[in-house]
Amino acid sequence: MADSGAASEETIFQLLKKADPKELEQRQQAINEKRHKTFELTQQRLAELIDQNSTLPTTVSSVTVLGASNTRHGFLKRVVDPLLSANRSRPYTQSELIHEVANAATRLRRFGIYHEPISVYLDKPAKTDPTTTPTDVAVYYSVKERSRIFAKTGTDLGNAEGSAYANVQWRNLFGGAETLDVNASVGTRTRSSYQALFDTPVLSNPDIHFQAAGVQSATQKVFASHEEVLKGGWSKLRWVTSTGSLHEIGYNGLWRQITGLSQNASTTVKSEAGDSFKSSISHSWSADWRDNPSLPSRGYYAKTTAELAGWGPLRGDVAFFKSELETQSALPIPLPGVKGDSGISLTTGFRAGLLYPLALGSSPNPEPSRINDRFQLGGPNDVRGFRLSGLGPHDGPDAVGGDIYAAGSANLLLPLPKVGKDKPLRFQAFVNGGRLLAVRNPEKEGPMTHQEVKQSVSNAIHELSNGLPTISAGFGLVYAHPVARFELNFSLPLVVRKYEEARKGVSFGIGINFL
Amino acid sequence: MNDNDCGTDDTDSLKTTRNPNKTKAQETLTRSWWSLPQPIRHIFDRFPLVTYPENELPQRAPRHQNENVLYIFQKQGPQSRDGPSFNPSCLKWQAYLKFHGIPLRTRTSNNHASPTGALPFLLPASQDPRKPVVPVPANRIARWVVSQGGKEEAVQIRQDAYTALIDHVIRSAWLYYLYLDEDNFQAVAWPLYVATTSTSYAIRASLAHQLRHAAREELLKTNTVIDGQELYRNAEAAFQALSTLLGDNKFFFGQTTPGLFDASLFAYTQIILDENLGWKQPTLKFALQAHGNLVRHRARLMSGFFSA
Repeated sequence: MADSGAASEETIFQLLKKADPKELEQRQQAINEKRHKTFELTQQRLAELIDQNSTLPTTVSSVTVLGASNTRHGFLKRVVDPLLSANRSRPYTQSELIHEVANAATRLRRFGIYHEPISVYLDKPAKTDPTTTPTDVAVYYSVKERSRIFAKTGTDLGNAEGSAYANVQWRNLFGGAETLDVNASVGTRTRSSYQALFDTPVLSNPDIHFQAAGVQSATQKVFASHEEVLKGGWSKLRWVTSTGSLHEIGYNGLWRQITGLSQNASTTVKSEAGDSFKSSISHSWSADWRDNPSLPSRGYYAKTTAELAGWGPLRGDVAFFKSELETQSALPIPLPGVKGDSGISLTTGFRAGLLYPLALGSSPNPEPSRINDRFQLGGPNDVRGFRLSGLGPHDGPDAVGGDIYAAGSANLLLPLPKVGKDKPLRFQAFVNGGRLLAVRNPEKEGPMTHQEVKQSVSNAIHELSNGLPTISAGFGLVYAHPVARFELNFSLPLVVRKYEEARKGVSFGIGINFL
Repeated sequence: MNDNDCGTDDTDSLKTTRNPNKTKAQETLTRSWWSLPQPIRHIFDRFPLVTYPENELPQRAPRHQNENVLYIFQKQGPQSRDGPSFNPSCLKWQAYLKFHGIPLRTRTSNNHASPTGALPFLLPASQDPRKPVVPVPANRIARWVVSQGGKEEAVQIRQDAYTALIDHVIRSAWLYYLYLDEDNFQAVAWPLYVATTSTSYAIRASLAHQLRHAAREELLKTNTVIDGQELYRNAEAAFQALSTLLGDNKFFFGQTTPGLFDASLFAYTQIILDENLGWKQPTLKFALQAHGNLVRHRARLMSGFFSA
């Protein structure tokens, strides 16, 4: 560091005197360059060290994190403690040490509270210190903390929905990489939404997070002529396993209100109006082994969710067990005569779900499902060629949802001539379909007994394969932007049920998750 | 990004034919705007290739029975299926419809279901179960009854003044009696209006607060300070005036059959005198019991129209 010389220091002093933005920028650049140079030098020194001494026994006497003035000592201690030789049974070899030091740096980086890059220095402790041994090295991490508060406002213009939002984020709230994120938005369909989310890593481990949130929102459900107002909170523990799959387990407590019914709402929706409290525990597991989530050419994605509401001590006003499965797989199709990747791929998706009514508390009979717990199916993001929630039971103008569903799709993706396979643009031909069914007892109105529920669920499962599913087919263009996937399709329905809302012609979809 | 976003409207907005008239209208519209060539239209018309019967509705969906349905506040349970509502506005129209012999079924509901934001409302019978009917809000029920062949009621002399006694003086006392009197609120309003909405204590507490706040706001519209004793005294005077008006007649204004005015008063006297409600501070009950003819009026209507 000292060799950058007195001359450059002088210029920095001169720069400091003037403070116009251009100068500031240059100054920042100068600092960056200097830091970069130092970093490179360190790297070089490290490389030499490793080369010369890769098997040399080494011990770590101290680890220092520089520049982390707002981070708790105890929090950092957990991250770096495993490095210290005092906590290990045998000395490192030099190369092991480098590996472990880099691992700890990666952990530090993943908390997202420091600027990139995090520099690492290794040094020999002063020989005058009688407590050190000749094999000792001292490890220094030099970090720069990111700003602790971050605010953003903006507008989103999505498909058939416009919204404005304000977002404030506090990073490293209590010095342990905790985040508090407060978000407010108003829109045309989600009329208002407020959320405060607190997120903290557990035991200084960036792979395990605990989250708690409070939410309040009002959403227009035009497909069923009502507005749903939500107030409540949830908390969850999420962790990533060594194979890269994500687990989430949580509790949800939500006050839901079906209100603001439109003039011509069906009697089914009218009977759903009012308040209910959902108290549930849930688990979800997902694994993504696709090469590209929004435009996969190979790989596999799977997700399962399970939710238990109102059972036993959970109480609340609704009781059910709800389970969903979602998979997608992509297969590259080689072209004879073309070497390497042809850019042609076949993706297939499958989703299914079941809502099984349970009895609430001391009630003898299971609770029939409510519209806000039932599944909806159809729309540009799942079964294409149908209106939003176009499949399943309809009462008059309203898609009232179902308790059991299955949907599948097969898409053949072809690169466009002249554009090539490297651009995220594809031509697609698809066929997709599904069924969405209600669990019901045709003989009687009102709550069913356990036996009747069992019978009705088994009838509904049987009905899934009765006749062809509701199907549509079409073709279109897919554009995979890093933020979302866009689809413009032309499609025609092949098989429908009476009152299901198919769409003939062109439709447009934006989303992250497509069937 | 919203990941279940929906599509924009298509070039050819033909839907699966639900309503042939509508589709025809859309077709003419599309033809002039987009001028889809006839051969393509023919191809489009072939789809869908297969149409199966409809999906059945969920268990909670009411089964269609082609009858007039009045959505009101009502106690749950089979024995009270046809019983009187515990809400004065609901009971007024429930009684009125019964007085006019309109065949009717009541359905327990709440204010969220109503297009006006308040119960009651009437859903007239419809032939086609899947075709939504326009609901009749409370203020148009009288006109709807006339359109169904009911007789139009003659407006009596000074009826407006007496109606005002019920709609303002008695109603104000009622709001205080039910919502703002702490004991009565806990004993009567809580189980009827609050406990039925949810089992969650937080929701109940929040709704109870909302109810009492709304009642207070309503009273402050016409009173500068809320003085319960004053409201009760006014109600006593109103009962006295109504008792004098009724005299020895069976129904008000000397009619042979009960009308809207009888329904308006019955809506309050029935609930105030209802022995099942367990009022803790029965001030209004005592005030009403002092007028034998009003008590008999209520009993007459009760046995004539609400005996199961």
